[in-house]
Amino acid sequence: MRRIFVYISSLILCLAVSNATAQKNKQISIPVDSTRWLNGFTVYVDVASLISSSLINNGTYSTEAGIQLDLKHKFFPTFELGVAGANKISTENINFRTNGSFERFGIDFNLRKKKPDSKPTNNLFTAGIRLGVSNFNYNVTQVTTTDTYWGGSNTFDYPTQNTTKIWYEFVVGVHVEVIRNFYMGWNLRNKNLISKDSPGEVSPWYIPGFGQNSSSNWSINYILGYHFWPQKKNAKSKKQLIIQKINNQINK
Amino acid sequence: MKKIIFIIFIFSILLNISCTTDVICTESKYVKLNANFYHVIYNDTTKIRTVYQLSLDSLTVQGLKKDSVTGAYQPVDSILYKNQNGIVPIYLPLNNYLPESVFRFKFNTISDTMTIYHKNLNDYLSLECGCIVTHSIDTIITTHHYIDSVRIIIHDVNTINAENIRLYK
Repeated sequence: MRRIFVYISSLILCLAVSNATAQKNKQISIPVDSTRWLNGFTVYVDVASLISSSLINNGTYSTEAGIQLDLKHKFFPTFELGVAGANKISTENINFRTNGSFERFGIDFNLRKKKPDSKPTNNLFTAGIRLGVSNFNYNVTQVTTTDTYWGGSNTFDYPTQNTTKIWYEFVVGVHVEVIRNFYMGWNLRNKNLISKDSPGEVSPWYIPGFGQNSSSNWSINYILGYHFWPQKKNAKSKKQLIIQKINNQINK
Repeated sequence: MKKIIFIIFIFSILLNISCTTDVICTESKYVKLNANFYHVIYNDTTKIRTVYQLSLDSLTVQGLKKDSVTGAYQPVDSILYKNQNGIVPIYLPLNNYLPESVFRFKFNTISDTMTIYHKNLNDYLSLECGCIVTHSIDTIITTHHYIDSVRIIIHDVNTINAENIRLYK
């Protein structure tokens, strides 16, 4: 219930902030020049993983950040980096422990089509793909077998196991410019594992960056970012925009 | 309206994510040797050998465990099959920690003892399911009061339910 509350409250906060600032942005938003190839880049951190790691004690933690280039305000090549881990004890009293890093790279596409009569905006509705990879060590300890007929039991460990897992993701997201160059938004991810467990492998319970080891996972990121290298040369100041608006009204 | 539908969609996904709990084990952990009984009839005139699957009238099966002090084989407390009729196949648990498993078969009044030599292997399934012990049969030795011969069909004894050995009358 706590987890639901955290997610819902953060989503409401995001919507509230984006609605409130949207009113202001209508007047002061300085759109990027969509004719230029490179329109700067955005650096962002995922707040959802930080909050859930600190508030929800489910034996896992994760934190990640990313960098996204803006090409013609249509294509957004993305690189993401993070660390994650788990310390989980199962109902059979087996302990799984891991700490590892992960990387993802891919591209987002801006799905928001610019209507001829619409007001210019930097807000984005994106869809994209990612390829994720994580090479990590893990320990599985306190593994017990019992023989219910002949009697006896045995407890042993699988220390320092190493594996590399690769997966792909479908990503859908909304990014809203809440203050000039400051972005807030969320990404919904559908993750699909490419490298499956091989027979006889001591399979990891958790994969950094992917989550619990299964063929498919869902996750959500709640991001805060800053856009660097805005188009200062082409941008108009607030004052100029207001003057232009007044002139337009007079002409009408 | 579109916005409301969109928000509900997001909420339902979040609810789905946040309600995931520890998964219980759904994999099979049943590892037992599968044995069937057969009878071979050879027709001298036609020179054709016909194999029939046997359905036994009364079968009792029990494990025998070596006493660590005396070295003699003692019956395990639990009886696997007791005077049972028409049981095919029978499932025998192999010893997880010793390389041999001994069973006493009683067919009505006739008894046979069968010793199975095998290797044991730990097979880790998952954090939820833990570990099982699988076996690989090396050889089988039996007395021949009722049983004529034994044939190993599949050496690996694991969670796959397949015929491992055939016992011929």
